[in-house]
Amino acid sequence: MGFVVTSLIFLLIGIIASLSTRIFFNKGPSANLFHLTLVLTSTTCCWMMWAIVYLAQMNPLIVPILSGE
Amino acid sequence: MDLLRSEPMQLVQLIIPIEAAHRSISYLGDLALFQFKDLNENKSPFQQTYASQVKRCGEMTRTLRLFKEQMMKAGISPPTRSTKDSGLDLEKLEVKLKELEAELLEINANNEKLQHTYNELVEYKLVLEKVGEFFSSAQNNAVARQRELEVQPIVETSIDSPLLMEQDATCPIKHIKLGFISGLVSREKSIPFERILFRATRGNVFLKQAIVDHHVQDPLSGDKVHKNVFVIFYSGERVKSKIIKICDAFGANRYPFSDELGKQFQMMTEVSGRIAELKTTIDAGLLHRSTLLQKIGYQFESWNLLLKKEKSIYRILNMLNINVTKKCLLAEGWCPISAARQIQKVLLQATMECNSQVGTIFQVLQTKELPPTYFYTNNFTCSFQEIVDAYGIAKYQEANPGVYTIITFPFLFAVMFGDWGHGICLLLVTLYFIINENKISSQKLGDILEMVFGGRYIIMMMALFSIYTGLIYNEFFSIPFELFGPTAYGCRDPSCRDSTTIGLIKVRDTYPFGVDPKWHGTRSELPFLNSLKMKMSILLGVSQMNLGIILSYYNAKYFGNNINIWHQFVPQMIFLNSLFGYLSVLIIVKWCTGSQADLYHVMIYMFLSPTDDLGENQLFVGQKFFQVTLLLLALIAVPWMLLPKPFLLKKQHEERHKGQSYSLLYSGEDPLESESNSIHLDHKEFEFSEIFVHQLIHTIEFVLGAVSNTASYLRLWALSLAHSELSSVFYDKVLLLAWGYNNTIVLIVGIIVFICATVGVLLVMESLSAFLHALRLHWVEFQNKFYEGDGYKFSPFSFTSLTDEDGI
Repeated sequence: MGFVVTSLIFLLIGIIASLSTRIFFNKGPSANLFHLTLVLTSTTCCWMMWAIVYLAQMNPLIVPILSGE
Repeated sequence: MDLLRSEPMQLVQLIIPIEAAHRSISYLGDLALFQFKDLNENKSPFQQTYASQVKRCGEMTRTLRLFKEQMMKAGISPPTRSTKDSGLDLEKLEVKLKELEAELLEINANNEKLQHTYNELVEYKLVLEKVGEFFSSAQNNAVARQRELEVQPIVETSIDSPLLMEQDATCPIKHIKLGFISGLVSREKSIPFERILFRATRGNVFLKQAIVDHHVQDPLSGDKVHKNVFVIFYSGERVKSKIIKICDAFGANRYPFSDELGKQFQMMTEVSGRIAELKTTIDAGLLHRSTLLQKIGYQFESWNLLLKKEKSIYRILNMLNINVTKKCLLAEGWCPISAARQIQKVLLQATMECNSQVGTIFQVLQTKELPPTYFYTNNFTCSFQEIVDAYGIAKYQEANPGVYTIITFPFLFAVMFGDWGHGICLLLVTLYFIINENKISSQKLGDILEMVFGGRYIIMMMALFSIYTGLIYNEFFSIPFELFGPTAYGCRDPSCRDSTTIGLIKVRDTYPFGVDPKWHGTRSELPFLNSLKMKMSILLGVSQMNLGIILSYYNAKYFGNNINIWHQFVPQMIFLNSLFGYLSVLIIVKWCTGSQADLYHVMIYMFLSPTDDLGENQLFVGQKFFQVTLLLLALIAVPWMLLPKPFLLKKQHEERHKGQSYSLLYSGEDPLESESNSIHLDHKEFEFSEIFVHQLIHTIEFVLGAVSNTASYLRLWALSLAHSELSSVFYDKVLLLAWGYNNTIVLIVGIIVFICATVGVLLVMESLSAFLHALRLHWVEFQNKFYEGDGYKFSPFSFTSLTDEDGI
């Protein structure tokens, strides 16, 4: 469940970021598309990295073995 | 989209009336949106229309260079900021420069002459002093000796010539007149001088030398050397001439000396007087010169700039064609379509100001030539575009990888750098550069600092992403923090006996953001992180390569290249995704289900024995059937990439070509000629074997590259491991060790070593390393899926791009 919730949070952050760039940096349609691409790419990259690390820890096959110091 | 494809460019022909030519080019240079084509490539520099102007500019540049040298020698540095535009044009500047040059050269010549005379006089004075001393001491000796010996003084010779007297006294038989020569010789040459004199005159001369303590400026060479004053006593004319020749050979300057005391005194006062006079004259001359040079210095930069501008304008004017009536110039060049209006406005302004009767004609030409590539970039995107351009300039209107590079390049850097402590350090450094942008850009920085300053936005993005990935890897100078909730791992039972043998278990929900902090320092940390990071690298790599192939689809669609879509894009997607896309899916399924399947085994046996039962390695229902299907698809995709395209291209060429030969026949040309033309075209444009081999190479490259490029992405794992291990070593073995001693001095030394190691190794070396590898991943693995990069850059004529080579 935590996975879906956090993914939705990422999605929300992405939408908010796109909207704010549209509002604050509105410079014509082609520039807007460019800014949108940048925001979407960075959101996707960040989400992918988080998702990979989260999924890898969901059902672990290896567990921490303390070093005993 | 803004940066995705080059701005549309057009080839434009300008017909400029000759009186407005200079001004129009000057305004176009200010505007910086027009790239001139050289229409006079075949002409030699002497045949060019404006060759004489260029020569004049060259002359003036030489004059300015002379001024700069003189200013350097006199120690005056011109102010680097140019003063207001002096409003001079080329002719007036030329006249003024000639005047100033003549004046400066005259002053210099006079100065040299005066200095020469001054040096001679100084040497003469030295000779007078030293030889006078010598004579007076000899005289004292002679007086003392005389008193001793009680020799009767000879009436004719006075007491002033004691040596002669001595000579007479010891050898009364011979009444030989002794002559002497006095002068200065440099100290290094004094011993050989003495020796050669001795040999040449067979020992019949008497040489006495006295050292001069301070440096003397030699009148001929102008250097300051150590010299000795010498006096040579000789007898006979032949010996005299020999001695004179030897003196000249050794560069020893001779000065006359009279042995009478009165005359000596007189010469001394005269020489001193003249020296003082000359010194004041020389000082006045130097003062005059320095005021002149300062005056030049104030205006130097503005003249320099003017000259550079003029030279470049004439260089451009030489590229234009002058038409037969000599009334107008023909220019051809590239400009962005969106800038046409600005250019026309500027040209109109130029012609109006010159009161010419006709305006400039602006005409668009249709051409099949490849236009230059032009991207509008601002301060931020400019640096990213530069690193893409370093690999190759995009072909006109093909998709520019720079759009995605702005985000993916810092992201891949951060995957390899991942530490939010180091990220914050980088961010602080680059923020300093960005905030003081205006001030620093006007200063002159060293080479390395210049590069760092130029890439400040890249480094800022890299730092921001590094902070993010640092939070995900949970490393702050290799220390993990529990920032996002409790750790998911706990003891198996309350006594925690098994924690060092079998380990902990997962007792709560997964740690919500990033790597669980419990992992740091455990014995199974590396196996877990290695597995995680390797799989992450594969997933990121497959995504980036898919992005590359999709960009090639957009390129093909834009250029209307259907063959490429169906017989390149589709089979490439099928091949890559049925093998490595499937691997990515398996990784995700394994993580989601927590199965113990061995993915190496699955992938390898998918190829070796696809029909075997999977047994333990089954991850989902129907996996075997699915794998066989994917294998077959991949096998079909390879000949699909290889075979259809060359044949289709051949058919396409023939259709085009068939139509052409029909039209030539109908135009009534000689059929033999048209046939030879078409065969000629065939040889030039379409060689089937060449196309086939090209496609074969392309296919092999893609197929083998699919494996090797995917493996290449594992460098993301390797560098990230290196970074975290180095960081952990510096923390554990330096800082904690120093802390353990409980001694302040050891602690301070430890902290200093830790800081130096962190900055030197981790912040500088690791950054460069990660930068390089992220760059390589972009240039090779990402861009070889779609980028051709064989265009040329739009380089408009602009005054801001004038380099120092043009001027001084």
